[in-house]
Amino acid sequence: MSDIVLDVKNLRVEFDTYGGIVKAVRGVSFSVPRGQTLAIVGESGCGKSVTVQAIMGLIPMPPGRITSGSAKLNGQEMLGLSPKEANQFRGVEIGMIFQDPMTSLNPTMTIGDQIAETLIVHRGYTKKASAKIAVDLLDKTKIPEAAKRARQYPFEFSGGMLQRSMIAMSLACNPTVLIADEPTTALDVTIQAEILELMLELKRTEGMSIILITHDLAVVARVADDVAVMYAGQIIESGSVDQIFYESAHPYTMGLKEAMPTNKPNEERKLMPISGSPPDLFHPPAGCGYFARCPHAMDICESNQPSGFRIAADHYASCWLHHELAPEVDALHLVGDQ
Amino acid sequence: MFKYTLKRLLAGVITVWFIATATFVAMHAVPGDPLLNDKAVTPEIRRNLEEKYGLDKPVFTQYLIYMGNMLQGDFGISFTQQNRRVNDIIRDHFPVSAMLGLLAIFFATAGGIVWGALTATYRNRAPDVVIMFLVILGISVPSFVFAALGQLLLVNINSWVGYSLIPVAGWGTIRHMLMPALVLGLGTMALLTRLMRSTMLDIVNADYIRTAKAKGLSPLRIFFRHQLRNAILPVVTILGPQIAAITTGGFVVELVFAIPGLGRYFVQAVQQLDYTVIMGTTVFYGAFLVLMVITVDIIYGYIDPRVQLE
Ligand SMILES: Nc1ncnc2c1ncn2[C@@H]1O[C@H](COP(=O)(O)OP(=O)(O)O)[C@@H](O)[C@H]1O
Ligand code: SF4
Ligand SMILES: [Mg+2]
Repeated sequence: MSDIVLDVKNLRVEFDTYGGIVKAVRGVSFSVPRGQTLAIVGESGCGKSVTVQAIMGLIPMPPGRITSGSAKLNGQEMLGLSPKEANQFRGVEIGMIFQDPMTSLNPTMTIGDQIAETLIVHRGYTKKASAKIAVDLLDKTKIPEAAKRARQYPFEFSGGMLQRSMIAMSLACNPTVLIADEPTTALDVTIQAEILELMLELKRTEGMSIILITHDLAVVARVADDVAVMYAGQIIESGSVDQIFYESAHPYTMGLKEAMPTNKPNEERKLMPISGSPPDLFHPPAGCGYFARCPHAMDICESNQPSGFRIAADHYASCWLHHELAPEVDALHLVGDQ
Repeated sequence: MFKYTLKRLLAGVITVWFIATATFVAMHAVPGDPLLNDKAVTPEIRRNLEEKYGLDKPVFTQYLIYMGNMLQGDFGISFTQQNRRVNDIIRDHFPVSAMLGLLAIFFATAGGIVWGALTATYRNRAPDVVIMFLVILGISVPSFVFAALGQLLLVNINSWVGYSLIPVAGWGTIRHMLMPALVLGLGTMALLTRLMRSTMLDIVNADYIRTAKAKGLSPLRIFFRHQLRNAILPVVTILGPQIAAITTGGFVVELVFAIPGLGRYFVQAVQQLDYTVIMGTTVFYGAFLVLMVITVDIIYGYIDPRVQLE
């Protein structure tokens, strides 16, 4: 059970900008068990992409800077490597797909060549052999007429087909971990469902772990085993998908759930978007990042960082309400009824 | 692709017809009668010309004759050089201009791509600052200044070596061509460098470069396979118009370097009001440029897969 593939500890990332230093990721820790799907969820701008890009060595430096932390893949450190060292695992041990498939593929290279390239570089296959495997991979991601499609260019593909090709490309070397950064956000709703379905199926057949980044709780509910909720550059609650949905322990997670449209037609419920906006990451607050928007905020929250309180096994929440001196936590569950 | 080519060629023919007509109208709008010009028209040439062009006939008839001759590829006889056909002038001197222009385009493109890639790679550092300063010079200083400076440089080099390593002027060997071609291509090189630099910088931040990094490709492979190829596309697009710019610039460079190219004859013809030579070379240059632009567009269709469907 405790077979951890990827272990990230206390990751901090900053960017130098004209307006000052943006503290985009402020001490993030999480781990991904083998064959499991971890969803990282949070509002846009909370640091989800920066977190995984830091792990992959994709942060542009400058202006970016990893100020602390470690990320171990099967025990091997991945931060602070040279491009050459990082390429031992990028595209091999970890595959990655991105939000916008339309712009994430090279427009002047055929889909087949782009998939084959990974095999040529990492596995030393010949052009011919790799081209054949590229077609097999396209087949695996359920692209019809794969042989013909492999010879086409990205502009001849639809968004959904491009994302399938991206998945095929990331799977070329049988990675241990697949990182998907908002893989369905740019796609139509029906296509979204198909892509998620495909990812789930591949997870089962290939046995890889997935880190799925999304701002959509509905996506989380559908595919995740574990969930990490991010807010203002920190993970504020983490646990199994059931714990996060049915035993939410952080006011922000509650708020996210309220803002989620229900798909039960007989259940009349008002959408309650969280009012206010996330804190300024140039000057992150000394206390709880959610203080300004939190309906339960207490005096202590303003200038003291809540540490991760253990709610249950593998369920943590960074909120002072779980301190033994805090008022009854029952108040939490009333939020939805107002 | 075939249909696209055909369409472009048809449009090209119409353009050339338009150039021919405009040239004809312009020549006839110029005050004065070419044959009344006391400059060099001997009675003998005058008789030849009147016979050939029916200059006593109405303007529209003249136009029809002019177009008819042109369709047969006949540009007529020079007004000032007895019995010299414009076709012969073009045949003798155009290859020289074409050679010079081709070499200039080659220097400009190769230089533009290399310098552009270099400045983008060393953005805001010494090589970038120095090259971009030179680029501004290259764009703003007219080519005759560079031509003179180039000659001065050659004089110094030759006197330093002790013999004529690279000839200062004239034509004949590849060594004669180097400096004038470089000077002629300089403006275009500067322009292409700037373009290449900005597209390279755009592409560095493109999503597909991030994908290439995530795939674990080496920086060198990313540079050549993904960045360079895509950055060259915009350079190829403006190559057509740039060929036009280089050909026009060629007139000046040919004069300064005493190169027996067509440009020199064109300028000479304008000075001497040699109407047939002016009209003939203008239409010929026009047709040539239109053909070049179409060729570049078709080549572009081959290197950028996205335009094939048009
Ligand atoms: N290259 C960069 N330069 C400056 N700031 C950046 C850069 N990349 C990301 N950021 C900042 O980091 C924060 C987190 O961004 P990101 O991780 O992309 O959010 P998201 O959770 O939507 O993926 C944002 O405030 C963003 O402005
Ligand atoms: S620590 Fe305080 S402000 Fe932050 S979420 Fe908990 S109750 Fe709200
Ligand atoms: Mg993002």
